[in-house]
Amino acid sequence: MALSIHHLAFQRNNKLLFSDISFGLEAGEMLQVRGENGCGKSTLLRILAGYIYPETGRVLWHGKNIFQHLDDYSEAITYLGHQNGLKPHLTVYENLKLAVALSGIKMQSDALKNILHVMKLDQSEKTQAVYLSAGQKRRLALARLQLIPARLWILDEPATALDHAGRHLLADMLKQHLACGGMAIVATHHDSDSGSVIKTLELGSKASIYV
Amino acid sequence: MFNIIRYEIQTTMRQAYSWLTPLLFFMIVVTLFPLAIGPDEALLQKMAPGVIWIAALLATLLSIGNLFRADAEEGYLDRMLLSPHPLTLLVLCKVMSHWLTHCLPLILISPLLGFLLHLPPREEYVLIVSLLLGTPVLTLLGAIGAALIVGIRHHGLLLPVLIMPLYVPVLIFGTGALTAAALQQPITGYLAIMGAFMLLCFAFAPLLTGIALRIGVNQ
Repeated sequence: MALSIHHLAFQRNNKLLFSDISFGLEAGEMLQVRGENGCGKSTLLRILAGYIYPETGRVLWHGKNIFQHLDDYSEAITYLGHQNGLKPHLTVYENLKLAVALSGIKMQSDALKNILHVMKLDQSEKTQAVYLSAGQKRRLALARLQLIPARLWILDEPATALDHAGRHLLADMLKQHLACGGMAIVATHHDSDSGSVIKTLELGSKASIYV
Repeated sequence: MFNIIRYEIQTTMRQAYSWLTPLLFFMIVVTLFPLAIGPDEALLQKMAPGVIWIAALLATLLSIGNLFRADAEEGYLDRMLLSPHPLTLLVLCKVMSHWLTHCLPLILISPLLGFLLHLPPREEYVLIVSLLLGTPVLTLLGAIGAALIVGIRHHGLLLPVLIMPLYVPVLIFGTGALTAAALQQPITGYLAIMGAFMLLCFAFAPLLTGIALRIGVNQ
C-alpha cells in the first residue's frame, strides 16, 4: 500500500469527530471522503496532509509514519484546502511563478502560459489575485495543482465556486492524474460527477455513535 | 530563494499601508517629543537615543504581529509547510523581506529625526549602525512571537507581552552605544554585543519560528 491509514481517531472539544478509520490507497486510486457538514472531513484531510497530529492511529506512506518523515512526505503530496493559498496582491502569473519557486522545480514560461490557457485564465494573467472572482481564484489554485508534480493530491471541496466548465476541467484533471499513477483523496458533501471514484469513505454515521 | 524574497517584497509594496504605517508611526512619535518638551537643545540631545530607539522598537512591534497573519488566512502558510525547501529558510526569506520593507525605511529616515532632536553627526552615525544591528534582532525575535500567535484570532497585547522582555537587552545596548558616543567613550563593546545578538538570532530564531508555525497550524 502506498498510503495506509490505521485506526485513526480524532476528538475536538471533548467530542469525538471520528474514530477507527482505516483504509489504504494504491497508485491510480482515488478516495472520496463524504459526510455531512461538521463530521470532520476537513480535519481528516489536514491530518492526512501532515498538518494535524491525530489523537490515535497511524498514517503510513510506503510503510513509514508520515509524522516522522514529514519532509519526504511533503514532497510527495499537494494539499488544497478551503483557502486557495494565493498571494492576493500578486498577479495570476506571479502567483504561479511563486508556486514554482516554492516547490523548487524548474519550469519554462511556456508551460505556465499553457496551463493558464487550459484553465481559461490567460485573459486575466496580469490581474492581481485579489480582484479575481471566487471561481477564478479556484481555477488558479487548480492550475498550480497541475503545475507541480505530486503523487498524492489531497483536495478539500475542490469544486467550490467552480462553474460547470470548471467542474469538467477538474474531473479531467483528476482522471489524468489517476491515469498517470497518481492518487487522490477528495472531500465532498455532494455526489461527484467524475466517473473515476474508486473508494468512498462515509464519515459521520459511524462517529455519531460515540458522540 | 531570490524569487521568493522578490515576490514577498512585491506583495508588501503593493499594500502601501503595510509598510507606511510603521514608518509614519515612527516619525510621528519622534516629532511629538520636541513639541511636547520644548526647544531645549541640551535636553532633547540627551533624550534623543532613548526616544528614537523606543519609537523604532514600538514601530517594529506594530508591524511584526501580522508577519504570518495574511499568509495563514489565505492558506499560503499551509503551502510553505509542504514546500521541499527547509521551513527555516522560508522563514528567513520572510523575515528578510519584512526587514527590508518595514525596518530599512525607519533606518533611512532616522538621521533626519536625529537632526530634529539635535543629535551631533558622530552620534547620527552610531545611531544608524546601532539600528542596523538592532532591528534585525527585533524582527527575528518578533517572528517567533508572530508564529506563536498565528492560530489565535484575538491576540490583543499577547505579542508585546511575549516578546518585550526579549527586546529589552537590544534597547539597553542600542541606547547604551549612543550614550557612550555622547560621552566620548568607546562604543565598539556595545556594537560588538549587538552584533553577537544579531548572529545568535539569525542562527536560532528562524528555526524556532518554523517550529512555532507547525504548532500554530496543528489546531
